[in-house]
Amino acid sequence: MKDYAVSRSTVRRALARLEVERRIVRKRGSGTYARGQGSPTSAPSDQPPGLTGTAGVPAGTTSRTIVFEHVATPAFLLDEQSAFGDTTLLIRQIRYLQREPVVLQTAYLPQRVGARLSRRQLKGKAGAILPLLAALGHRSASLEQEFAALPADPLAASSLGLAIGAPVLNVRAVARDPQRRILAYINFFYRPDRYEARTSVELGDATRQRADRRS
Amino acid sequence: MAVKTRSRRIGPPSTGTTQLASRRLDQGVARYYRLYELLSAALQDGTIAPKSALPSEPELCAQHALSRTTVRRALDRLEREGRIIRRRGSGTYARPHKAIPRFCFDLNALPETLAALASCTTATTLRFEPEGVPAHLRAIAADIGPTAYLLERLRCSRGEPLSLTRTYLPEAIGSRIRRPIPTRASVMMMLDRLGPPTTEVSCSVGAVPADAAAARLLEVPLGSPLLRVRAILTDDSRRLRAVLESLCRSDRLQLKMMEPQPRAGG
Repeated sequence: MKDYAVSRSTVRRALARLEVERRIVRKRGSGTYARGQGSPTSAPSDQPPGLTGTAGVPAGTTSRTIVFEHVATPAFLLDEQSAFGDTTLLIRQIRYLQREPVVLQTAYLPQRVGARLSRRQLKGKAGAILPLLAALGHRSASLEQEFAALPADPLAASSLGLAIGAPVLNVRAVARDPQRRILAYINFFYRPDRYEARTSVELGDATRQRADRRS
Repeated sequence: MAVKTRSRRIGPPSTGTTQLASRRLDQGVARYYRLYELLSAALQDGTIAPKSALPSEPELCAQHALSRTTVRRALDRLEREGRIIRRRGSGTYARPHKAIPRFCFDLNALPETLAALASCTTATTLRFEPEGVPAHLRAIAADIGPTAYLLERLRCSRGEPLSLTRTYLPEAIGSRIRRPIPTRASVMMMLDRLGPPTTEVSCSVGAVPADAAAARLLEVPLGSPLLRVRAILTDDSRRLRAVLESLCRSDRLQLKMMEPQPRAGG
């Protein structure tokens, strides 16, 4: 209590939560102890996550398509990406690893790309959108990604089995074809205890020299 | 600053086990604050467009399984912050927001990004001393050894906190760093002046709730979502230069990355 300047009931609430998450053991008359690192779900953040990368289909995952419909293009897409037409194919999916939900993803495909797509074709590719587009001749050449930590909204929370407001890793990705035309805008909400994005950046001489000139 | 707690359960009965589980995990953070944070994020990223109407109070109660008092508390706070306007008999509307400048951290242009960061932000050194390396960082970079020099810095832009970074430097490197630590240089710049330059940075990006220390320093409530970036810096001979863990406010720092896609079949 002294360390954090909070009331007893607040301290108890915090400890109750850690106990529910099975990260501590409370022994009456003795004290509270940290548990050993248990199964991946009980000691999440320090375990190597089961998935990396956002573009491909991670091995061992299954997906469920919950929405597949043509909708009027949402305003935020028209503002950001003028290449979208009046209507957009919206595909919302939940992806599971070992039957535990890992990500809720909502993809928006421009009419030019999505018009001929069927739900059955998607099923044939295990629900993977970009590989399906590639098979149909829309190969993605680049994927721009933007990361944010956001509170889970009710949809993300219920899809991922989290409390509303719990932190989720949000990745907004834009896939483009070799002509730089937009193929898909995908909004991912990952459970942070089951996923982290990884990448490696090499610093060649060229980039270093450029930076030196600027500084 | 005790948080008032209420033991009364509010809202409709849970319908499934998932919901039950999430309810229990929800213990420890004030309910109104959860809703405040959600609406706040939606207002900021444009999910609720400027000047458009927010859901009505009864709708918010139903969607989030909250009492009217709790919903009002969240809206009161947004109103105080000047983010919404409540019009009697009409509804609640998003105020056109002043653009909050976000610093863009582009992983594909790391040297440029670090140079820009150094020129328009300052990093205050909170600690610089030998320290045990936490097990989770030793697990991803075994070469660091059990103890290393810990450099803890808080980076601010015009006095507003952006990120809290803990960098662990191998003893051979850390012992050569001179004090005082400059407020403008990035860790990579400091290291590059000392020896073989960093040629590879492996990063992982995740999300975590703010702990007590991070919440206080980054000026966010306990449990707020923060971006967590871990990075391993190595030189040309693949020798470890540093391991760092940074907690970032993603409302102030935009993290970007461009991934070239392999050719089909790759």
